[in-house]
Amino acid sequence: MNREEVLERLQPVFRDVFDDDSITVSAETTSADIDDWDSLEHINLVNAVEQEFGMKFDMGQILTMKNVGEMADIILSRI
Amino acid sequence: MLSWSMELTSFKFLCFFALILIIYYLLPALTGGRGQRYVLLAASLIYYVLAGNGLLIVCPLAASFATWLCVRAVLRMGRENVTERRIILIIELVILLGSLAAFKVFGYLGIRPGGYGAPLGLSFYTFILLGYFLDVYNGIDKGEYDLAGTVLGGMYFPLMTSGPIVRFRESAEQYSKPHLIDYDALVRGLQRMLWGFFKQLVISQRLGKIVDSVYAQGSGYDGWYVWLGTVCFAFQLYTNFSGCMDIVLGLSEALGLSLPENFRLPFLATTISEYWRRWHITLGTWMRDMVFYPLLRSRFFMAQGKRLAARFGKKTGKKLNTWGAMFVLWTAVGLWHGGALKYVIGSGLLHWLYIVAGEATLPFFTALWTDKLQIDPKNRFLEALRVIRTFFLVCIGFVFFRADSTPHALLLLLRGLPWRTAAPAGGGFFAMGLNWIEWGVLLVSLAIMIAVELADEKLSAEGGIRAKIAGLKLFPRWAIWFALLFYVVLLGEYGPGYSAAEFIYRGF
Repeated sequence: MNREEVLERLQPVFRDVFDDDSITVSAETTSADIDDWDSLEHINLVNAVEQEFGMKFDMGQILTMKNVGEMADIILSRI
Repeated sequence: MLSWSMELTSFKFLCFFALILIIYYLLPALTGGRGQRYVLLAASLIYYVLAGNGLLIVCPLAASFATWLCVRAVLRMGRENVTERRIILIIELVILLGSLAAFKVFGYLGIRPGGYGAPLGLSFYTFILLGYFLDVYNGIDKGEYDLAGTVLGGMYFPLMTSGPIVRFRESAEQYSKPHLIDYDALVRGLQRMLWGFFKQLVISQRLGKIVDSVYAQGSGYDGWYVWLGTVCFAFQLYTNFSGCMDIVLGLSEALGLSLPENFRLPFLATTISEYWRRWHITLGTWMRDMVFYPLLRSRFFMAQGKRLAARFGKKTGKKLNTWGAMFVLWTAVGLWHGGALKYVIGSGLLHWLYIVAGEATLPFFTALWTDKLQIDPKNRFLEALRVIRTFFLVCIGFVFFRADSTPHALLLLLRGLPWRTAAPAGGGFFAMGLNWIEWGVLLVSLAIMIAVELADEKLSAEGGIRAKIAGLKLFPRWAIWFALLFYVVLLGEYGPGYSAAEFIYRGF
């Protein structure tokens, strides 16, 4: 899987978690771009992403990732 | 018992601190910049023996040693050794939380093993050390501290009274770096300490007398007096606790160390959640990172979230699941304050109830303001009402916090109904431990504190009010600080034996 494919698979997860079908995610998307993306929803989002990809992130990675691109990189490093 | 009054506002402590300050800045000149952390370490150990109950120093030392060992063990293992890592985690949790719980239970039952109470700073060093271990375990902290660094990180002496609950990565890292004497930082630190003395000795002590009169069993002060006593307690606790933080952060600043803030004008919060981001901030973030997030990521709550979403729909299900995790969180916050039910209610579950009620009614109020009444929900009038409402709700929690027990708190709330207003025979405003002059001093001091702290917040981008004063000409600058110094010296209430005010949060 490459970065593009990871981002493609992330999109429906984001739409589902934030309940908004207009969301398009790119590597540069940050929490500032999505209204409901606060620290609590971040945890819910990470839970959903982990289930989609069948892996578990470290708390350290969760708290330090800055944008969707970094999230994709963490996923790629785990595959 | 080996114990020597060493309160942060006592004369003894000031002498102790002056000595530390001199050695701390002189030593590097002799050693070429090395060894400062050993001054801090020695000071912390000596302080603990003098201020705590002497021999109980073995408790924080054992906790530090255990944490150091567990961190080493976790670092030595690869991340793939899931089971072994988990065993180490459990060992650390059992040792630290086990001793915390044991001493809390002893305290609750009135048992004093070997004639000792709980070790000084028990809740604080436990959380600081446990937080360090968990940060290493979670890969947030690299865990590079040697044994001395771990002991100092857990027992840095100013933190042993009332925190703040620092994280190693924002505190311990600084202890090991050399700090050359910086005149500006030294002066700023001492100024902040003085401000803490002002809040502690001039304001908090006086408020305490009113509070004690109202909250004495069968005091006879009913109705509005209960609320006067409770509002006074809110400000007593704020000036006591945040004043203590001013001293702790100020003296650290004088040592070249920058520790995290614990308060940011908490009584101006518009919601209970915001209040907890402004009051005891370091406890809130600790609980969020170490309890709340891990709970939400636990197998139980993830499965529960799915079940609830299937049953009540996605949005409601998610809310219900979050509230469930919050219930555990707030029970933990309440328990941290003490084993007694009044703390679990007043500092825990009551706040949980407020937050849940607030979130549950939010859609209704949003619809009411925007659709029905067509007013901006964020207008100034509504925001002001929210500040008052939030303060009132917090005060109800404080009734439990201050009362002797839960039944006493409930009785006070019942007696506090406004139409029951009554004072005992011979009682009244000027019979609550303060005569009219003392009341005057109290109100003027409170007004000064509120004005200064509001100004400080407003000027925060430019370095706060101390930076503003530092920019003044020599005479007005020193006039301000000398005026404050004399104000504190003349009007401070020193209590018996020139010892300080009791730090209310010390008991936790």
